[in-house]
Amino acid sequence: MDFFGNIITGFQITFQPVNLLYCFAGCLVGTLIGVLPGIGPSGTISILLPVTFKISPVTSVIFLAGIYYGAMYGGSTTSILVNVPGEAASVVTCLDGYQMARQGRAGPALGIAAFGSFIAGTLSVLALMFLSYPLSRFALAFGPPEYTALIILGITILTYLAQKSLLKALMMATFGFMLAFVGVDMLTGKARFTFGIPALMDGIGILPIVMGIFGVAEVLENFDASGEISVVKAKLGNLFPSRQDWKDCWKPISRGTLIGFFLGIIPGGSATLASFISYATEKRCSKHPERFGRGAIEGVAGPESANNSACAGGLVPLFALGIPPSVVAALLFAALMMHGIQPGPFIITEHPQIFWGLVASMYLGNIMLMVINLPLIGVWVQVLKVPRRVLLPLILFFCIVGAYAINNSFFDVGVMMLFGVIGYLMKKFDYEAAPLVLAFVLGPILENSMRQSLRISRGSFWIFFSRPVSGTLLVLAGLILLSYFFFNKQRDVLDEKEIKT
Amino acid sequence: MTKERGGGLIFLLVGIYGLIFSRLLSLGKWNDPGPGVLPFVISMLLCVSGISWFIAGKPKRGEKSDINWGRLARMLRTPLQIVVLTAAFVLVITRTGYLAGSILYLFLFLLWVSHYTPRTAVGMALVMGIGSWLFFVKLLVIQLPTIGWWIF
Repeated sequence: MDFFGNIITGFQITFQPVNLLYCFAGCLVGTLIGVLPGIGPSGTISILLPVTFKISPVTSVIFLAGIYYGAMYGGSTTSILVNVPGEAASVVTCLDGYQMARQGRAGPALGIAAFGSFIAGTLSVLALMFLSYPLSRFALAFGPPEYTALIILGITILTYLAQKSLLKALMMATFGFMLAFVGVDMLTGKARFTFGIPALMDGIGILPIVMGIFGVAEVLENFDASGEISVVKAKLGNLFPSRQDWKDCWKPISRGTLIGFFLGIIPGGSATLASFISYATEKRCSKHPERFGRGAIEGVAGPESANNSACAGGLVPLFALGIPPSVVAALLFAALMMHGIQPGPFIITEHPQIFWGLVASMYLGNIMLMVINLPLIGVWVQVLKVPRRVLLPLILFFCIVGAYAINNSFFDVGVMMLFGVIGYLMKKFDYEAAPLVLAFVLGPILENSMRQSLRISRGSFWIFFSRPVSGTLLVLAGLILLSYFFFNKQRDVLDEKEIKT
Repeated sequence: MTKERGGGLIFLLVGIYGLIFSRLLSLGKWNDPGPGVLPFVISMLLCVSGISWFIAGKPKRGEKSDINWGRLARMLRTPLQIVVLTAAFVLVITRTGYLAGSILYLFLFLLWVSHYTPRTAVGMALVMGIGSWLFFVKLLVIQLPTIGWWIF
């Protein structure tokens, strides 16, 4: 495969003025979202999806991806200066980044976060480039049984990695599947769960759901939050890490890049999880783990590299297999579907401009983010001072107009508000949204694949096990579930022993 | 009633609804699955997980129910205010057009939910309403409700 020819084509696409502009806009909006606590990249992308109707598929994917990895850069700013994570993947950066700021080392903390993100982002895009194409060729041999098995494995891993409870994650995933069944069945034309409402005949749109759960719910939750944000009053000083800082950080950056990239590929393995695992890894690998939580620069470098690397990792299954492993990937999936493009193994060969344009834009975007983040730190600090009571109504207003703009219908606004309240209650009662959204996106693919498989096999379920790939994937799913129950039981036994002693 | 039991009950009810109505759809045969098959299976899974969560949420001996209904009502007050205001906005906007409707909505929002003074709320509503009109209608060319000759 002519990688260099394709990457040159990608850069030619990216350097078109409109794509450059949207790449920059995406990085800027992403950084802003990352800086501002309250709304994350998922909510922002879902709110801005309707805006991308009028632009080309390449440009919209470049713009939306820019928001995603831009938010990873921006999140570290508030974590370090305010001790409030701008978005979930920067929670861990608060632990050591804020302590460094209090010790007068805010500059090196911000600097290593930006440089680490840049290095990880660049390396992971290279890996995305080299891994996606061979994987997509392999996936061309996938049939309905393989897709069924892959989605079952994906949902299993997603619920296994649930941070709160496997049972809760499973309930949310099944609820997401139920929502996906609303509408007219594609194969038979029968209406399902429409309650006689004509607007539901096409099913519930993904945009009102994600805008409600991630956009509106965040607004509703943040109205509860009180208190002023106070920024560390410290001179930023030199933003460039010292030689000793680089000596301490090159290994955490390398490990963080690997951890983030491979976790990004796994369903449920989000940038947030990657940053937590990277932090735990660095603490374990450190000769002085007692420094962590007190201003260890490795505690900033590793997680910030991991969360950026996970962005590119999450695009591998999306482009190679057509399976989004995370909520943001699901939103990019929705964006492509809106433009009439089916994500999957064919996208790299049939729409190479989208894949290679995106890859090239990510290289460029990483450079833009270095430029936006470091010199403009002072500006971002000022943005933090905008009162929440002003910002949140504006965000809500954006959501309302965005939802209306999908189909020029207030029905979608109503659906969005309903899911906004549901999302708010989910947050208050500790139910995760990711399993619901991913199951909603994957539900139609799972159903079609399963029904086609049973037609092919004339009703025999053996088809899923007789084919090597699908059989392996299903066995893997079974082992993961068994390991969960086994380790849970072991943990319960250990807990009981500890209590007794 | 604990939180877990409440959640389990809700999912169980959704699952039962799914079971009933997916049976009304054709389940088909194994070699030609109908539109009701997967909804039926998923509904069963939902019922099983709802029951499991309901059982897991059994309060321990001596433990009181941990749903504080008063606190729940207070928690839902602001979201309900926002939902009611948004519903009113949706009803009004087709009569007033986008610009007037949005300024009114933002004014009431800033006054009632964000607790700004009336003077501040009016000023901010005007700026935000006109700004949003310029952004959505003029820049992004989104078709928003207008009323006849009233260009806004």
